[in-house]
Amino acid sequence: MARDLAIDLGTANTLVYMKGRGIVLNEPSVIALNRQTGEVLATGREAWQMIGRTPGYIVAVRPLRGGAITDFEITERMIRLLLQRVGVSRFTRPKVVICVPSAITEVERRAVTDAARRAGAADANLIEQPMAAAIGADLPIDEPVGNMVIDIGGGTSETAVISLGGIVALEAVRVGSFDIDAAIQNYVRREHGIAIGERTAEEIKVAIGSADPTPDENQAEVRGRDLMTGLPKTVLLTPEEVRYAIEDVVSSIVASVIRCLSKAPPELSQDFLVRGMYLVGGGGLLRGLAERIERETEVPVKMSNVPLEAVVLGAGHVIEHYEALKGMFMGARR
Amino acid sequence: MIVAVVAVVAVVVVVVLVGATAAARNRRPTDDIASFRRQIDALSPEARRQTSDRMNPSEQPSTGDDGADEI
Repeated sequence: MARDLAIDLGTANTLVYMKGRGIVLNEPSVIALNRQTGEVLATGREAWQMIGRTPGYIVAVRPLRGGAITDFEITERMIRLLLQRVGVSRFTRPKVVICVPSAITEVERRAVTDAARRAGAADANLIEQPMAAAIGADLPIDEPVGNMVIDIGGGTSETAVISLGGIVALEAVRVGSFDIDAAIQNYVRREHGIAIGERTAEEIKVAIGSADPTPDENQAEVRGRDLMTGLPKTVLLTPEEVRYAIEDVVSSIVASVIRCLSKAPPELSQDFLVRGMYLVGGGGLLRGLAERIERETEVPVKMSNVPLEAVVLGAGHVIEHYEALKGMFMGARR
Repeated sequence: MIVAVVAVVAVVVVVVLVGATAAARNRRPTDDIASFRRQIDALSPEARRQTSDRMNPSEQPSTGDDGADEI
């Protein structure tokens, strides 16, 4: 009998929590395929290292975009391989809880559950990412107080107000840290005339990217291909330039937080001033983002202790207390 | 003989359906209260502590060195 699993099937990374054991897998949501034969060559970290560096017959892809499946067949194969790595076989079919963005459509929900069942799950249920994040971030959502969680992932940013185990207000935008990477790529191409890959753009974001000015800022040397000559070229990029490049994406995230605050009932609103909002997700690690949200909303913003693992830990808690918490699944009676 | 068997099966099906409907209608409000209580108890900090303790630390992304970063 397989141990039941919780899966954070993110646009950027996939994390798996095994009942009774904890987090057993944390890998990029990437799969590398032979373009001619369709054969899987690598998954996870190994496939991620191939992005933008493959010969013509190999393609390394992320089968999820904006938190939704863009290629059903490839996603199913990726989930199947990841489940095999944590011990799932055709004879051991576990129950699975999968975290998904709250904004996905009915069709997209069906695609996720079908992919998980066909990949080896006996039963697949979905839970909203902000709810899982609030459970995993140890917010007191069992109490009648306002808990606000901002989950910024690779393809989506979601803000939710949670009280007494239920979502009171929710706001989601299909914008995340991959859009920040894309904005940096476009800026460098437009302003400096060099082409860079998505991994380089991500490295720029991690090295000098920020949503608000921060102390000790440095320039970065960026290497790419000159669009005019086709030759390798190095340019210097400043933090101000990166902030300018990503401003639209950051503004869109901050605006969605403000919209969620405005939807919250007044009794819960006053709780935020005292308790603050909690930031989770890889996108929340962008320097200055917490300060920027705090400045624009005038509500304290705190970083979760486990920003990258909060969602899967929350879903893991649901799988540990399956019978008591099955009412929290998407589509279940509230 | 066949008619009798079919009749018995039909009666059994009707009895089961009526029983299931009655059970659903007689669902007591205390069941809902107990279910909500169980959910809230399962979300308490004490209940969640064990799950949090099972987290394995994962790798954090590098933030670069001092001075100009080479990318």
